[in-house]
Amino acid sequence: MTAEQEIDFSKTYDAVIVGSGAAGGMAAHVLTSHGMKVLLLEAGKKLNIEQELRSMEWPYDNANRGSLPPDSHSLNFNEYTIRRPPYGPGFEKAKNLYSYIGDSDYTKNIVVKERENPYTGTNYAWVRARCLGGKTNIWGRLALRLSDYDFKAKDRDGYGENWPISYSDIQPYYDKVDLYLGITGVKENLDYLPDSIFQRPTKLNCAEVTLKQGVQKMGRTLTQYRAGVTSDGLKHNKYRSRCYGRGACERKGGCDIHAAFDSPTGLIYPAMDTGNLTLRPNSTVREVTVDPATGKASGVRFTDSQTMKDYHVKARVVILAASTLESARLMLLSKSRQYPNGIGNSSGHVGHNFCEHVMGPGVAGLAKDRVGKPSTLDDGRPGGFYLTRFRNLKEKHPKFIRGYGFEGGSGSTMFPRSAQAPGFGAAFKDEVRKKQGAFIGMGGFGEVLSRYENYVDLDPVVKDKWGVPALRFHYKFSDNEHKMCEDMKETAKEMFEEAGFEIVHVSDRILTEGWSIHELGTVRMGDDPKKSVLNQFEQSHDVKNLFVVDGSAFVNASCQNPTWTIMSLCWRSCDYLADEMKKGNL
Amino acid sequence: MPSEKPTGNSTEDAVRNAPENPLSGVDLRQDRRQWLKTSATMIGASLLPATAIAGETAPQAEAKPAAAAASEGKSAARFFTPAQHALVEELTETIIPEDSHSGGAKAAKVADTIDQYLRETYDESDKAVWREGLRLIDLMSQHYNGKTFVNASPEERVAMLTVLSENSQLTELTEVKFFNSLKELTVGCYYTSKIGIHDDLQYKGNRVIQEYVGCDDQDAAKA
Repeated sequence: MTAEQEIDFSKTYDAVIVGSGAAGGMAAHVLTSHGMKVLLLEAGKKLNIEQELRSMEWPYDNANRGSLPPDSHSLNFNEYTIRRPPYGPGFEKAKNLYSYIGDSDYTKNIVVKERENPYTGTNYAWVRARCLGGKTNIWGRLALRLSDYDFKAKDRDGYGENWPISYSDIQPYYDKVDLYLGITGVKENLDYLPDSIFQRPTKLNCAEVTLKQGVQKMGRTLTQYRAGVTSDGLKHNKYRSRCYGRGACERKGGCDIHAAFDSPTGLIYPAMDTGNLTLRPNSTVREVTVDPATGKASGVRFTDSQTMKDYHVKARVVILAASTLESARLMLLSKSRQYPNGIGNSSGHVGHNFCEHVMGPGVAGLAKDRVGKPSTLDDGRPGGFYLTRFRNLKEKHPKFIRGYGFEGGSGSTMFPRSAQAPGFGAAFKDEVRKKQGAFIGMGGFGEVLSRYENYVDLDPVVKDKWGVPALRFHYKFSDNEHKMCEDMKETAKEMFEEAGFEIVHVSDRILTEGWSIHELGTVRMGDDPKKSVLNQFEQSHDVKNLFVVDGSAFVNASCQNPTWTIMSLCWRSCDYLADEMKKGNL
Repeated sequence: MPSEKPTGNSTEDAVRNAPENPLSGVDLRQDRRQWLKTSATMIGASLLPATAIAGETAPQAEAKPAAAAASEGKSAARFFTPAQHALVEELTETIIPEDSHSGGAKAAKVADTIDQYLRETYDESDKAVWREGLRLIDLMSQHYNGKTFVNASPEERVAMLTVLSENSQLTELTEVKFFNSLKELTVGCYYTSKIGIHDDLQYKGNRVIQEYVGCDDQDAAKA
């Protein structure tokens, strides 16, 4: 990889990008390939990724068997339920406090320390990764497209707003992302879940095939996990290997050979090789600055995360890609005479229309015909299966609008589910062994409606370690989500019964808001500047040289996992941006 | 410890695990009054001194084993005294015993891993539960079997732990809380050990393959 360059503070960069995750990485890739001189700022460290991602480490070779050291603590469901943020008070004994994802040695250095990064308001499991690549280092890899069932959802059920784009607008960019980053899957020809340009698919194992056949009888579709993983390799990327079906891919923690997409190897290192990218980690951006004469963004002010020194860097275009909530926070922080409510916020919608996916309901079953079978190599696969949406497609559900899908899997895993068997002794040990590959489970991901009343703003008192005002949450699931979750639980159970599994556990517990780590929609796009913040190219209605290219631009959450759509939209917007710059419009 | 946590024990399964258990169905709440009453005079109590329960760090846990460890030329202080360690070895082996297929918890050095966990944990209440739990185990063993747990036969050990397993919902009792933690840590440590992963489960992952076999063949799914 090309060596990092120092920032030249005398220079005006063509663009400064805030955040290096899926969106920031993609913006860096697209803009540098257009020949623009780009500065990429990341608040966190540049991790030594080769040491950090250890997908093939054996638990017994790890000091804590892969777990978090016992002097540290990660928040759990009960704590998120009982306590309200900020998370820190009450956990003084724990040396380090992490979000629920930081519960292993493979994730603790990637997620933030909660005490340094407080937030307030309603209960929310906010998972943040401040490091080069952000959450893409450890993402779940499920890479799905949205369709006009999502982009034009209002036309179908009258709720919310349509997106300012159609599937046909974004489809060429989904294709570009597929080809540039690699994705595995099987074509299903579903109009509500369009196919990607897939590389060689992973395969289902036996219990998964049984479930597929079962749900087929009910007119539903189970398909191989559509993973943002290259199974055939990528000739144009020397940093990533193809997937060899090895490793403990079930455990949280990234892919050491980068077969699974992550922003550093997939996007940022190649962008640095163009010679057009300057990368600066440890740069906590606190404000988008404004040229008082023109009202345009002039650059960003940031604090060195370690030395605490303040800097200002100039750029022709400012691109926010700091994540749905951090980008909204930055806009609200950027108050000036021209923009007293925060930059780009004349609509008052910044921070609002906050949405995501609701999780919790699901089912676990035992495939009795798999009991006692020799163990198989299942968890080197990037994923098991995806059971696609079936609600509110043709027929209207009487109790709720929109839909949900299920992620699931079966087979042998490093620490098998069968080890949760009750009892002890010889019979227990025998049971764990015999049932180790026989369990199958799945959990739902449902659309949380985008509602103006669900929002974040700045806390008037609490600040983070860098003195930046914390976000305050005003966010709750609504009746639609609760009714959807009821249905999720029922349909999960009925499908497992149809497949002939012995039902082991049915979960009707709704996980804490935020659990899906799919927060979306705080800076939404739209054609009407009174009801939206960005236009269809993720460009601020108010400030022409300000773009917000992460999940915050989403108009609704759909029920599909957002990463592939974030990157496809970002690519489209950055193509437009480069074109506008050439035309002198920015 | 390991991120997967065992959930819920059902009485039905516990009974099935020990079908001829002579202690099955005893009233733990009733019986414990007796063995707690005798605790002051019992040998068990002197063998495993009653240490601080609620949050107090027991100096013996740090000092005494440090001396013992030093004499063996080992480094860090242990959480368990040598006597406690011996007891934990037998307890964990009762949870996951050696069988014709693979070694058990003792062979997998589960007691050592639990020791490390307890030594490093920030949670004093976990430590206190373990100290007090080990003491109560021997009081219980004296009550039901007339001897310490270490001196009891394998059958007697199973019978006694079944009493705790059957009552695993009575988590307000320290001995039950202890048993639940013992099981969770034993299972977590065993199935992350070499013996657990390779010998027992014969885990096939963590190796390079050219092609995942899978089960796309519809006939194979039924076979």
